[in-house]
Amino acid sequence: MSKARAKCTVTHASEVFSMTLRTYVIRRLILIIPTFFLVSIIIFVLIHLAPGDPVRAMFVGRPVSPEVVDRIRHELGIDQPIYTQYLLWLGRLLRADFGYSYIYRRPVVDLVGERIPLTLELMLIANGVSLVVAVFLGVLAAVKQYSITDVLSSLAALIGYSIPNFWIALLAMAFLSVQLGIFPVSGVQTMGMKFASPFHALYDHLLHLVLPTSILVLGWTAYLFRIVRSAMLDVLMQDYIVTARAKGLRERIVIYKHALRNVMLPVVTYTGYSIGYLLAGAAVIEYIFSWPGLGQFWVSSAAQRDYPTLMGISVITALMVLVANLCTDVAYALVDPRIRYD
Amino acid sequence: MVSRSQEKSALARAKREVHKPSRATRLFITWRKLRKSVLAVIGFGIVLTVAVGSLLAPIIAPYDIQWSGASRRPPSMENFFGTDNRGRDMLSLVIYGARISLYVGLGAVLIEIFFGLTIGMIAGYFGGLIDEILMRISDVVLTLPQLMLLLLAVSMFRVRGLHVIVIVMGALGWPLMARVVRSEFLSLRETTYVEAAKSVGATSWRIIIRHILPNILSTIVVLATMDIPWYIFYEATLTFLGFGDPSSPSWGVLLQQGYLYTMSSWWIITFPGLALFLTSLGFNLFGDGLRNALDVKVRE
Repeated sequence: MSKARAKCTVTHASEVFSMTLRTYVIRRLILIIPTFFLVSIIIFVLIHLAPGDPVRAMFVGRPVSPEVVDRIRHELGIDQPIYTQYLLWLGRLLRADFGYSYIYRRPVVDLVGERIPLTLELMLIANGVSLVVAVFLGVLAAVKQYSITDVLSSLAALIGYSIPNFWIALLAMAFLSVQLGIFPVSGVQTMGMKFASPFHALYDHLLHLVLPTSILVLGWTAYLFRIVRSAMLDVLMQDYIVTARAKGLRERIVIYKHALRNVMLPVVTYTGYSIGYLLAGAAVIEYIFSWPGLGQFWVSSAAQRDYPTLMGISVITALMVLVANLCTDVAYALVDPRIRYD
Repeated sequence: MVSRSQEKSALARAKREVHKPSRATRLFITWRKLRKSVLAVIGFGIVLTVAVGSLLAPIIAPYDIQWSGASRRPPSMENFFGTDNRGRDMLSLVIYGARISLYVGLGAVLIEIFFGLTIGMIAGYFGGLIDEILMRISDVVLTLPQLMLLLLAVSMFRVRGLHVIVIVMGALGWPLMARVVRSEFLSLRETTYVEAAKSVGATSWRIIIRHILPNILSTIVVLATMDIPWYIFYEATLTFLGFGDPSSPSWGVLLQQGYLYTMSSWWIITFPGLALFLTSLGFNLFGDGLRNALDVKVRE
């Protein structure tokens, strides 16, 4: 009887929970609209911060006839007053028109779409590996605080945190790829690999992945390690851990079952919120290894001052980050029932 | 309106009761705590070395940056770090590069503090709609990839120079500072000593400047110290990607110009990168130590 009642209250509670969760998700979705509006303003302002007009900036150091400049200015609407320009641009964005690249002579959406899978591949692998390594080392370091393991791994994390990733990338490329020839120098695939057997092509592709991912893993592991370690230290001091130990549970169960769950919460949210930071870190590595992903595209468009493309990529990237943040928030709400929906 | 002297005496009474140590003593206590941590001392040592090195660059550097000898000469007694592809002395370039990095770090951080303080205090003081709008903006700037925003802003400038990078970085770096200032401001506003100051008739400005600001100071210092290596790193990244002034000896520029010669002359990219790494390690160690010594709770 009491068991049945308990069950009843539980279903009731979960119904309330899912209701509030639904309203929470809907509210967060609606909130994306003003946020997106703000994002578009920030991007627009940043692009127009520089004095002079962007079309002239596009052609710095390149001979171009004034008629062409005038035509492009007119096509992009730069001959209009600034607020009209913004509204026109916003209108195009709302119709999912992210602009047209003058360098590639193709719509920006297509260009970005081709590059996203490669960036995702790099980021997912690097992020997955560093998450596993960081959690493993972080837990080990926190459980044996001030031990040799802790001191050494903390020191390593500090070094990994401070080392400029592009410098390590250059050194690795020079010595491991060019000098020793262990890894391919750059790109995604060796030329002609399209015609090789699928197994061979996959092996070749993985070989190309090793250096860029390892360098990303180095930095992110260091970053995540510090978070895992401090979160674990916090959790280990809490009463429920003392209770678990007092009950006579084995230390391994206390740590990996009781403590780790609460540590994973901040770790996963940190990862979710740092998508933007991770993307930016990957950009330089993509550029160095000629990995034709989103980041490399940012850098090359900025270098060529491909102004419509830059605006387009920025908005698409911003949207990706906003959606990733929303997913993180919802995942957090799902995992942690204590969260308040406000 | 209560006179300033009355306010002073009321505060002096309050101070006698709590025995708050003087500013010099507090500084000494902080230093003593800092000294206990070996890593923090190492960090401080590195930061000090970089600072002294960059201040005394013309005296310390063995050659002028205009000097040029045989190109790509390996490290030797004449050129400790070798020479680069244009025959310039790498050691001198790296020393002069420290000047740029330090200028970038401090310059951007000062701009960040200015914006962060102003915006944080406005948001905390006025509250309501203004607070809401400012915090939404700071949220958005925080979530967007910093490097993307920097590339966006810097690439459109026709002049490629250091000042543009510093100003843009500082102007984009304020959100976290503003958030922290705002939340500290909100919690300090409710404290009894602010209430006491208010009750003796101190003006809002006086409360902000004399009573609230000194208490936020340690948080600001810690936050700023921890941001300096990021600015140095971003400047090096941007200049490495080619958005800097190619004639300056910035470490990022040196890396960009050297990396084509990595194969035949390892020293060209090794030393500027090492300098960048050590400087950022120094600031990170020092910032961590300072955070622990001042017992400030900011992001990990």
